[in-house]
Amino acid sequence: MKAETRNAAAAAAVLLALCAVPFLAGKFTIYLAMRIMLLGIFAVGYNLLLGRTGLLSFGHGAFYAAGAYGLGLFGVHVSTHPLLGVAAGVVTAVLLALLVGTLCVRHTEIYFAMLTLACGMMAFSFFWNAREITGGDDGLIGILRAPVSLFGGIKMPIGKDGQFYFFVLFFFVLSVWAVHRIRQSPFGLALAGIRENARRSEFAGVPVRRYRLAVFVLSGAFAGLAGSLEALLESNARPFMAHWTHSAEPVLVSLLGGMSSLAGPLVGGAIFVGMREIVPRSTENWMLWFGIVLLVIILGFRGGVVGTLSALFRKAVAPGEG
Amino acid sequence: MREPLLTTEKLSNHFGRVCTALDLDLRFEPGVLTSIIGPNGAGKSTLINLLTGHLPVQAGKIRFRGRDITRLPIHKRVRMGICRSFQVVNVFPELTVAQNVMIPVLARTGRAWNPIRRLSRETAVLREAEAILTKVALLAERDTPATALSHGDLRLLEVGVALAAAPTLLFLDEPTAGMNPVERVRLLENIRQLAREGRTTFVVVEHDMDVVFSLSERIIVLHRGEILCDGTPAQVRADAKVREVYLGDDVSDLFRYEEK
Repeated sequence: MKAETRNAAAAAAVLLALCAVPFLAGKFTIYLAMRIMLLGIFAVGYNLLLGRTGLLSFGHGAFYAAGAYGLGLFGVHVSTHPLLGVAAGVVTAVLLALLVGTLCVRHTEIYFAMLTLACGMMAFSFFWNAREITGGDDGLIGILRAPVSLFGGIKMPIGKDGQFYFFVLFFFVLSVWAVHRIRQSPFGLALAGIRENARRSEFAGVPVRRYRLAVFVLSGAFAGLAGSLEALLESNARPFMAHWTHSAEPVLVSLLGGMSSLAGPLVGGAIFVGMREIVPRSTENWMLWFGIVLLVIILGFRGGVVGTLSALFRKAVAPGEG
Repeated sequence: MREPLLTTEKLSNHFGRVCTALDLDLRFEPGVLTSIIGPNGAGKSTLINLLTGHLPVQAGKIRFRGRDITRLPIHKRVRMGICRSFQVVNVFPELTVAQNVMIPVLARTGRAWNPIRRLSRETAVLREAEAILTKVALLAERDTPATALSHGDLRLLEVGVALAAAPTLLFLDEPTAGMNPVERVRLLENIRQLAREGRTTFVVVEHDMDVVFSLSERIIVLHRGEILCDGTPAQVRADAKVREVYLGDDVSDLFRYEEK
């Protein structure tokens, strides 16, 4: 079987399984699946920046939070329509990413990482202190899940978790598909070129800074989407969404799953959410155990879970070539 | 006199107290295959770096087809038709050979911004990339990652990536460094052929004197950032100053490069 067919089959199987979750699983599993998908959207978009373009940002929590607050404030002041709210959240995140990105993409490596970290911390303290607008340390609470009204007066309720699940699933599939297409596009190749050799990219006629800004804003948009969906899921927007510890999540998840594939951050996200829920039941220090897992992956399996497994698989299929 | 492609006016550059370019007034005319030679530290690479935008110009002016490009960023110069290859191989290591040459083609045709279209559907770009790989004799390796190529093939790819930007003026910085004699002859034949086609004007920095004198129509000799001599190979060979500072240690130079 060709690799492409195999990947398509795997994607279809996962999609089918995801569609079945609300009918077969309990409330808690549905909730966990939604958290995994949210982190998946966040990480898969973020990995366009990290894995594809080779830029390490520690500030994407800010865009996640911008998405959540954007949706929340839009709900309070304009309309509670969930689709419009999500759009407002994404637009807010994009605007913030444009601002932060313009400042940061002039630099690379550690300077870029530290600048994004600084911007993220400023965003956090804004959400924390601007009590009049953001609700301060309480955050915005009581965000509603109004029914989705479409053209022709059809109303789809998303109030229950079993209903909202499909709302999340829709955006999850959309995001994964979009990132998949971007990775295979000319734009995706140009980004890989920038990661491999930025100077040569300039001598290939690629305006490197503008591409960096574009992918920064794009990954910010995915972060905003994930944030606005979390605001709907948890009925609130919290300043800690912008905290640097949250910004680190897509980094950890990409390392865990593998940065070079589309599936890597998704698998990493599933493991991360799973461990965060299950490990604390038997021990208090879940971060210790997660740290050990990460240590093993980074020291022994650079390609992450997905990279290592697919290398093993290739070996099994074509033993002679190794 | 023909309209020059590129001219410089009093172009200067210093690294601390070391002068690598001093009031250089140069003209490059279309179709004249030019070599730049000079002992180590003469300012050959610096000159290329200045002309292509790799180094910011400290003093002087650069014009390309009459337009002032002194402060233009690299990618804009490339779009105007100035490109270069590097002395040390400088390609996209984890990408395949075909992808390496596709990036400049995509950038040139303005297609690199498209985030949705599948790369495999860009048949015109693929065909152009293949044509370039045929020129540098790398078509058979099209799906090999650049890291897996031999040194000689990497040097060919280096030139291929530069050619893919379809430059009108192409600077090659020691294109045959570290190549074996067979590969060297093949690459030089290629350059000669491409120069004859006339779309690209080549300016070559080279250490191998056999290469320089057999290939060039014009030779510029640099020494400590200044032009020592500028003329046809015959003129340069006859120049007393050049013999003194440079051709005298020609033999030792050659040996040093064979060892690499």
